[in-house]
Amino acid sequence: MRVHALLLVFLVACIDTPQEPIDEPVEKTPATERADRRAYDGAPPVMPHDNLGASCTNCHAGQAMQVDGLGVAPAMPHDATPGLSDDARCRQCHVPVTTDHIFKPNEFEGQAQDMREGDRLYAGAPPVMPHRTFMRENCVACHDGLDAREEIKTPHADRTRCQQCHVEAVTDTSFPH
Amino acid sequence: MKRRTFFKSLGATAAAGAGIGCTRETVLWGGEANAAGPTDTRSQGMTWMKAPCRFCGTGCGVEVGVADGKVKAVRGDTQAPVNKGLLCVKGYHLPAVLYGRDRLTHPQLRQPDGTYKKVSWDEAYDLIAKKYQESIDKDGPESVGIYGSGQWTIFDGYVALKWIKGGMKSNNLEANARLCMASAVMGFMTQFQSDEPMGCYDDFELGDDFVLWGNNMAEMHPVLFSRILEHKRQHPHVRIVDLGTRRTPTTHYADMYMEFKPGSDLAIANGILNLLVKSGRVDKRFIEENIVFKRGIEDLDKIGYGCFGDNAEKYGFKDKGQASSFEEFARLLEEYTPEKVEELSGVPAAQIKALADIYGDSKRGTVSLWCMGVNQHTRGTWMNNLINNIHLLTGKISKPGSNPFSLTGQPSACGTVREVGTLNVRLPADMLVMKEDHRKKTEKIWGIPEGSLNPKPGFHTVDLFRAWHRGDVKVLWVQTTNPWQTMPNVHRIDRKPGDGKFLIVSDIYPTPTTAVADLILPAAAWVEREGMFGNTERRTQHWHKAVEPPGEAVEDAWQMVEVARRMGYTDLFNWPDDDWHRVCWEEYRSFTTGVGKDVGTYEQLEQSRGLRWPVVEGKETRYRYAAGHDPYVKKKEGVHFYKAKANGEKAAVWFRPYHPPAESPDADYPFWLCTGRVLEHWHTGSMTRRVKQLHQAVPSAYVEMNRADAAELGINDGDKVKLTSRRGTLTLPAKLNGRAQSPKGSVFVPFFDEGLLVNRLTLDAMDNISKEPDYKKCAVKVERG
Repeated sequence: MRVHALLLVFLVACIDTPQEPIDEPVEKTPATERADRRAYDGAPPVMPHDNLGASCTNCHAGQAMQVDGLGVAPAMPHDATPGLSDDARCRQCHVPVTTDHIFKPNEFEGQAQDMREGDRLYAGAPPVMPHRTFMRENCVACHDGLDAREEIKTPHADRTRCQQCHVEAVTDTSFPH
Repeated sequence: MKRRTFFKSLGATAAAGAGIGCTRETVLWGGEANAAGPTDTRSQGMTWMKAPCRFCGTGCGVEVGVADGKVKAVRGDTQAPVNKGLLCVKGYHLPAVLYGRDRLTHPQLRQPDGTYKKVSWDEAYDLIAKKYQESIDKDGPESVGIYGSGQWTIFDGYVALKWIKGGMKSNNLEANARLCMASAVMGFMTQFQSDEPMGCYDDFELGDDFVLWGNNMAEMHPVLFSRILEHKRQHPHVRIVDLGTRRTPTTHYADMYMEFKPGSDLAIANGILNLLVKSGRVDKRFIEENIVFKRGIEDLDKIGYGCFGDNAEKYGFKDKGQASSFEEFARLLEEYTPEKVEELSGVPAAQIKALADIYGDSKRGTVSLWCMGVNQHTRGTWMNNLINNIHLLTGKISKPGSNPFSLTGQPSACGTVREVGTLNVRLPADMLVMKEDHRKKTEKIWGIPEGSLNPKPGFHTVDLFRAWHRGDVKVLWVQTTNPWQTMPNVHRIDRKPGDGKFLIVSDIYPTPTTAVADLILPAAAWVEREGMFGNTERRTQHWHKAVEPPGEAVEDAWQMVEVARRMGYTDLFNWPDDDWHRVCWEEYRSFTTGVGKDVGTYEQLEQSRGLRWPVVEGKETRYRYAAGHDPYVKKKEGVHFYKAKANGEKAAVWFRPYHPPAESPDADYPFWLCTGRVLEHWHTGSMTRRVKQLHQAVPSAYVEMNRADAAELGINDGDKVKLTSRRGTLTLPAKLNGRAQSPKGSVFVPFFDEGLLVNRLTLDAMDNISKEPDYKKCAVKVERG
């Protein structure tokens, strides 16, 4: 369904009908809503709720969980972020939204979330990652679990070493590495 | 994403492949495009370039993603040695600071009726040249000035310095780093005769104990703090000590929190020195080889605070050093017993002893860290001296994992202000206008007649604005900073244009400073121009221009070059109009080579993720003055303070006593007021407040109060509170359950909010040596608003 919808959207895009947004989410899910809370693909999402008085990792653990009265708490994708432990500084990157107010209008347009699939050498080969990880090492935080988007759900979440087969392309800079 | 941009980036993707058009695979699966080779279709037509972050002095490496001529994203550069891929929330939202709708795009000249009229650059440049020349002709070079910033690129700072000192022969060149780093500069200068730290960020993985002196690192240098936290996680023996006047997010991670009364850090440091000396936990051999002892002027009546009586218009205190000895030093320290220090500071004697034990443990590496708490202090240079003293006496200096390390708040406070020397007394690479041989060297490099540079120091920042207010300085150009929000006691410089003076302001957005300008100039920001920044650990970082600036915006340096040429200083700026950065860089670099301040070549910096000076034969230096690290040290082992020529190439340990703050709470004004920053906003918020995500996290200033105080005054969270100091009044909402907690009897207000200017309350008291104002301590009254 998702692919068809995207295809339709894309075909519409090929016909010249300027100014139409093409990235209307197909259906709102916790995962697409989280993408909407990013300034651009790769930016840390803002928090949709206030500080709830508990440690962030109480709810945002290795797997998504249903929290009574609040909805789905997405899993935390960071495994090896520097400082991540009981000493996690989540608020260093994830800040709450405390108001709808805008100080001055801003016309920044961020890089949109990339909807392409990963490149495969041949049918059946493991696809390379179509995105950078940005320190999101816990792949199943997005690719499995109760809030995962169907089209990116892994068929084999039980294989825990994802990066054994799926590698990240890191060579798109214009300066020497 | 709008359809149009999508279409464009799609086109770029397809073009990068085999020139194929709209096919389903190209976009959704990227098949054909990928098959064409290594070009990465996942980049959505993005080009990625390197740059240092625009905000603080940490100097995180970011990769800047550009498509359609706009910055669309950044990501932490995983190969950047500074941040290893991590950023903070400001860094992640960096691209949006370029795209506020109210960017300044054209020069605008204020009209007599108070409106602004668009003018051409030619008109603007001609007018500025005329104003400077007229003022110099009539009232001398002391009547003009330039006030820049630690956000200036090194190019900007160098052009400003060359134009005003080499061209106009005025030394009224200052920068906002005076409000920020000057005490650290003077700490290093008085002890090592060369500015900037000996250590580097490598210490965050090598130290055993990290002592934070009044430093909320979790919010102010979050990425560096993360490095310490990760080191601690991997090595449980690592400890963090937080000395503060309020509990902050940093306190949460500390093994020991020492809460002291504002200003009493002087007593604590002396208490530690006393315990170390008394118990013999000092490195005697190191002291004999590397240290001389000195005393300065210690009499409070002779020193003052820079804001009372005669000092309220001009503060020119000069310290005078005299030789002392270890024995005298030890004797002078004796009065700082743990009990006496407890009385002065409120810190239990047991904690003083515990901290002395940490510094005194020769088996553990100790890193001291500080920033504004120590620097914005009426005895800030003294505090810098005392912390350096602790490290010198214990030999915990210029050693991997053991160093005093002052942090900086602006991206090029070090690279531009401190290294180029955009200050009233300075010339590049630690040189001074007062010294004949320094002037001679400068005159030679600039090709100007010998004896032509002005040897008389200009005004330091606070006095510069006082002189401006009096009318002694008549033409002032402010670039990349916002003094009408940041000066202490800011109502002292309240201004209505039309007063016969001429204020030029270059910025990227309207600010309280552009609001009082006669001429507003639009500047190119960050990757809209080429630049170099120098960060806290002596790392110089280069970036290329990535996108066009909006409208007619021009980079700050070039604005000044245009005016200088119009004033006839064409020989000083005989640079090619196109590739001038390279030429400028190599000229500036010639000041630094051979004197231990060697910055990398243009090519070396262009090709690297920054290099830490001294850079000799292409190699950077991690630890200054250390044998085996610093190429200027010829010794086989140990350290050599080779820059301290006046002290026989030894570092100076100064006795510095406790002095009380300039203004303390009393019956009329019973609360301490401390000001500062929050994680989400940077400086005056002119950039970060225009980013939705950052603004919506912390939309306005507030007054952080202790809950017991609030209960006594009947104040609830969010209630309006009226703060009154001897300078002014400010009403703002109370915050009782925020990220930090002020102790009873004190309040805290962040300074980012131009609508709630806390500097209407602060006092223009200054450090006696660095002339850096103290924004951390004054007295206020607190009432329900």
